[in-house]
Amino acid sequence: MNSLLPGRLDRLAREYALGTLGGLSRRRFERQLRESSDAMAAVGTWQERLAALAGSVPPMRPSELVWSALERRLFVASTRSPSAPNRPQQWLRAFLSGRALGGALAGVLLFTVLLRLQPGLVGMAPVTGALPASYVGLLTDDLGRPALLASSRRHGRTLTVKLLQPLVIPPGRVAQLWALPKDDGAAFPVGAVPGAGSATVALADTSEKLFFNVSRIAVSFEAAPAKPGDKPSGAFVLSGHCVKLW
Amino acid sequence: MLTNEHLTRLLSRVAMHDRAAFEQVYRATCAHLLGIAFRILNNRERAEEVLQEAFMNVWHGAGGFNASVAGPMTWLINIVRNRAIDALRLAKSGRAATVVLDEEALAVAANEAGQPEALLDQSLARLKIVGCMGELGASQRQALALAYYRGMAHSEIAEALGAPLGTAKAWVRRGLDRLKTCLEAAGVRGNPLA
Repeated sequence: MNSLLPGRLDRLAREYALGTLGGLSRRRFERQLRESSDAMAAVGTWQERLAALAGSVPPMRPSELVWSALERRLFVASTRSPSAPNRPQQWLRAFLSGRALGGALAGVLLFTVLLRLQPGLVGMAPVTGALPASYVGLLTDDLGRPALLASSRRHGRTLTVKLLQPLVIPPGRVAQLWALPKDDGAAFPVGAVPGAGSATVALADTSEKLFFNVSRIAVSFEAAPAKPGDKPSGAFVLSGHCVKLW
Repeated sequence: MLTNEHLTRLLSRVAMHDRAAFEQVYRATCAHLLGIAFRILNNRERAEEVLQEAFMNVWHGAGGFNASVAGPMTWLINIVRNRAIDALRLAKSGRAATVVLDEEALAVAANEAGQPEALLDQSLARLKIVGCMGELGASQRQALALAYYRGMAHSEIAEALGAPLGTAKAWVRRGLDRLKTCLEAAGVRGNPLA
């Protein structure tokens, strides 16, 4: 990237923080922000100065409907569709078809491109433009639709999960994420995932140690979160390839 | 109002998807943040929509909050202001050209204390930098107030104040320069509310 001279950086940072930097200049500066900690610090300093002006704004108590809408959107999964198929054999055949495989790989590529263009989608912390070494999985449903994104930094001990569409978890069951080794070894449990929104799953070890030999990850419904040594009790409702990026 | 330290701790718990912490952050800050969105949008319904979208960002993006870059209240204000300004620009671009002012918006328009200049004056008094900022001309203060409290672009400020675009830009720039000098002289950093 082209680094900015301090004076120009400060001018851009203050206009950006104020909201008066528009159009192409704003987009160009946002790229700088993702790549430069100096630019981010300059914007933060100006945001602090301007926030000092907010103290005089009279508060307004929002309607309680705002909070209830937030709860509904973030924490409540939608009701189960009556047409939702429950035919694991048919789903498995569809998943193993070339079309579904191609779709899943295309999805992983799309996710990679998205990460490069919009790192804020995942962490909102665009400290660097370089894509970190990570394991990434895109799980699809029985119709081949992208349903769940999972990613973990190579040496991280957490896995970030984002539901791309609500997963209807039957009452009394949990959605359990499994890792499937490439040599047809036994699936091992990774953690439970929510029906909607995002979650951070604590890993038993670094993702490098857990996933280096894993080719697929999948979700099944279980009566309780699986423990080490447990096996999936039924068919997978979501599944996809696990790839490493570096 | 929570302290910065308490709010920072709560946001770190929100990053781990702690719902109770999320609700605490919302309850403690929503009224202040809605006020900021409302000054920009002049419409309670749209301001509440912006507040809701902003807190969706907070839930999903709390892991990106970095207390060494900006304070927690500043981070929250920034999310709400950006959302509100985006919504304002979208509305002005024509998709929602007809903006119906609700009763509170009309009250704000009629209430001098709700005007951007009055808000700026009150803030400067709270920050004890009235004298220092007094070196600015009236137009420079107005331009800064319209940009911050109303989320106006340079072209809108120029139109509102009847000045050429280049002059409006210079007024805003001068206002920001003076604000920086005065805040640094007064040793003020960040939003005093949190």
